[in-house]
Amino acid sequence: MKQFVLVALFALSTCAQAATIEMDVNGLVCAFCAQGIEKKLRAFPATADVVVSLEKKLVALSTKDGQDIPDDELRAALTKAGYTVKAIRREDESIDAVRQRLKAAAK
Amino acid sequence: MFLKFQTPWRLAAPLLLCVLSVPAMAKPIAFAEGTTIMAEYGAGTMEQVQAFYAPTYWLSLGAGDLHLDSDASSRTRDIRYLRANYLIHRWNLDDAQANIFAWGGLGTASGSDFHGSRLDREAGFQADYETRRVYASWVSDLHESSAFSDRVDTLQLGFAPYAHDYQDLATWFVLQARDYSGGIHHGVEYAALIRLFKGGTWVEAGVTRSGKPQLMMMFNF
Repeated sequence: MKQFVLVALFALSTCAQAATIEMDVNGLVCAFCAQGIEKKLRAFPATADVVVSLEKKLVALSTKDGQDIPDDELRAALTKAGYTVKAIRREDESIDAVRQRLKAAAK
Repeated sequence: MFLKFQTPWRLAAPLLLCVLSVPAMAKPIAFAEGTTIMAEYGAGTMEQVQAFYAPTYWLSLGAGDLHLDSDASSRTRDIRYLRANYLIHRWNLDDAQANIFAWGGLGTASGSDFHGSRLDREAGFQADYETRRVYASWVSDLHESSAFSDRVDTLQLGFAPYAHDYQDLATWFVLQARDYSGGIHHGVEYAALIRLFKGGTWVEAGVTRSGKPQLMMMFNF
């Protein structure tokens, strides 16, 4: 029981400290798609920044300090925007670093 | 003489022409909780303005104003309508998206070949397929009343010379074939277009085979 609590606490702290949430999204082919997704994700009060890459079919989101958005809420938001979420993962990379990486990959 | 030409109205006229012009080919639902304003100037045969609000990604509601001017006779139509657009199905593929939309509406119509105003019934559908380099769409739009039945079918095939990303300027070269029923136009009208879009703004301009201009503009916000 004690071990379970420790693991759960560790998981929660990792979740809360994740610098960027990355989502692989299908159907992301045009600027209007990206615009709709960005608008939907920025509607979350916890959202700090959003980056969308059509090239990588990637949507990246950072949250405000100490805040988080659960995966199921993110998945529901993108589904309600009309897109299919393939995967959601939490990365330590900052969203600015993600933005720079995507920009460098595009060159 | 040159200064006289540069009055504010003369300067604004080309822009206004663009604004008064709509891409029938653009998606009738751009994104959830988004507003779309579209206009098209179709080679002097069709002018249309539309505005839609989408409460969800699969439904939008709005209104339009369509003017048809036959190049085969003196026949004209003026139709104002309320319309609902419905996304029947969307395929979100790895590198592509495909959609089937349908719409229906009611409005009022007047024309040069009948008296008074008639109830206009509108029905249509759109099938499209899009990657970041290839685009194809087929749109069929029918307006019918007790006095007329006019259908406009439009096929567009587009090619992008480079794959754009969200914040880039997207460039497309589009070939279009459009057929008007109801004696609005003789034969199929072909056009070559260049389409540019960035963010929520879309501009399309080109020329038909008979040398007439076609202009379109759309704003999503």
